[in-house]
Amino acid sequence: MRCLEKIPNGKLVAVDVIVSAGKVVSMKITGDFFLYPEEQITALEAAFVGVSPSLSDSELSDRIKQAIKNAELIGVSVDDLIRIFRKATL
Amino acid sequence: MTKWRVLSYQEFDAFTNMAIDEAIGESVSGGGSPTIRFYGWKPSAISIGYFQAIRDEVNLANCEAAGVNVVRRRTGGGAVYHDQVGEITYSVTGKVNLFPEGIVDSYKVICSWIIDSLALLDIKAEFKPINDLISNGKKISGNAQTRRNGVLLQHGTILYSVDVDRMFSLLNVPDEKIKDKLIANVKERVTSVTAQRPVSKDELYKALFDGFTKNKDFESGKLTDTEVIRAKELAQVRYVSKDWNFMR
Repeated sequence: MRCLEKIPNGKLVAVDVIVSAGKVVSMKITGDFFLYPEEQITALEAAFVGVSPSLSDSELSDRIKQAIKNAELIGVSVDDLIRIFRKATL
Repeated sequence: MTKWRVLSYQEFDAFTNMAIDEAIGESVSGGGSPTIRFYGWKPSAISIGYFQAIRDEVNLANCEAAGVNVVRRRTGGGAVYHDQVGEITYSVTGKVNLFPEGIVDSYKVICSWIIDSLALLDIKAEFKPINDLISNGKKISGNAQTRRNGVLLQHGTILYSVDVDRMFSLLNVPDEKIKDKLIANVKERVTSVTAQRPVSKDELYKALFDGFTKNKDFESGKLTDTEVIRAKELAQVRYVSKDWNFMR
C-alpha cells in the first residue's frame, strides 16, 4: 500500500508498505527529503519492519528516533512519517 | 584566512560530474583545500536525489531516446533536469567547521554567494528554506547538501534558460491525470536568468565566479592526479552502475 504526501513547507514523501499477518514486512520511504547521513535510510525503514500497524504513535516514534538517533532528518519529521505510514496502512 | 581552490567551468557527463564531486570530498577530508567548482552536463542529464525512486521520477524511455543520462546523487533533494545549455552547476566542498552547524543556516551561507552573483547581473534573488533560491517569487536555483567524514558538500544549479515542456518530457509526475495542470503550475513557479535579464551565459558564469569568490582568498586550480584517478574509479564503480542508480 502506498501513500504520498507533500509536507507543508517541507518535501514530498512516499511510503510503500506491505503488511502480512498483522506485521509490516516491507517498508520503503522515498522522496525529495534529506537525511544525514544518507545510509541511515536503511535503519529508518527497518524501524517499521516487524511492527504491528496497531502499535501506538508514541511507541513507534520512540522506535524510529532510536533507529536514527545519530542522523538528521530534513524536510519531513518523524511525526509526518508516522502519519503517512498510518494512511498507507489504513 | 582560508584559501579556496576554484575549479573553472568544465563540462562532463553526469557520472563523471558526480564522481568528481565525491573525489573532491575525499581529498578535502584528507586535508586538501576547500574547493569551489563550476560545471556543466554534456550530454544533458537528469540527476535524482538519493532517496528518490528512479522509476517514479524519471521517464527512462524518453531519456534514453533523447540521449539524456540519468544519475543518482549522493545528496537528497529532488530530480533536476540539467540542460547542457540551460544551466550552470556549482559544488562547494569544505570542512564542516567552515560553515554554520545548522543545516538550513549553512544552505543560507552558500546560497548567499549565489544571491551576490545574481546581484552583479541586477537580478534580485532570495533564499527560500530549505534549499531553494527564488527571484520575483519564482525558483531560480535548487541546491542539495550532504555532510560526511567532517566534510560538507553542497551542489546546486542556477537556471540560465528553462524549457519546462522538455523537462516534463523527461520527468514523470506523481499523477498523470493532472500533468497539464502541473506543467502550467511549474511554468508559473520556475524562472531563469534569461527570463529576468538579457544576459549571456558567459556573463552569468563570470558573475558566479565573482560572487562565489568575493571576499575570499582563492586560487584557480585544477583537479589533482589523485582526484582524477579516484573520480574515474567512482564513476565506474558507483555512478554508472545500475546497482546505484536503481537502488530505489
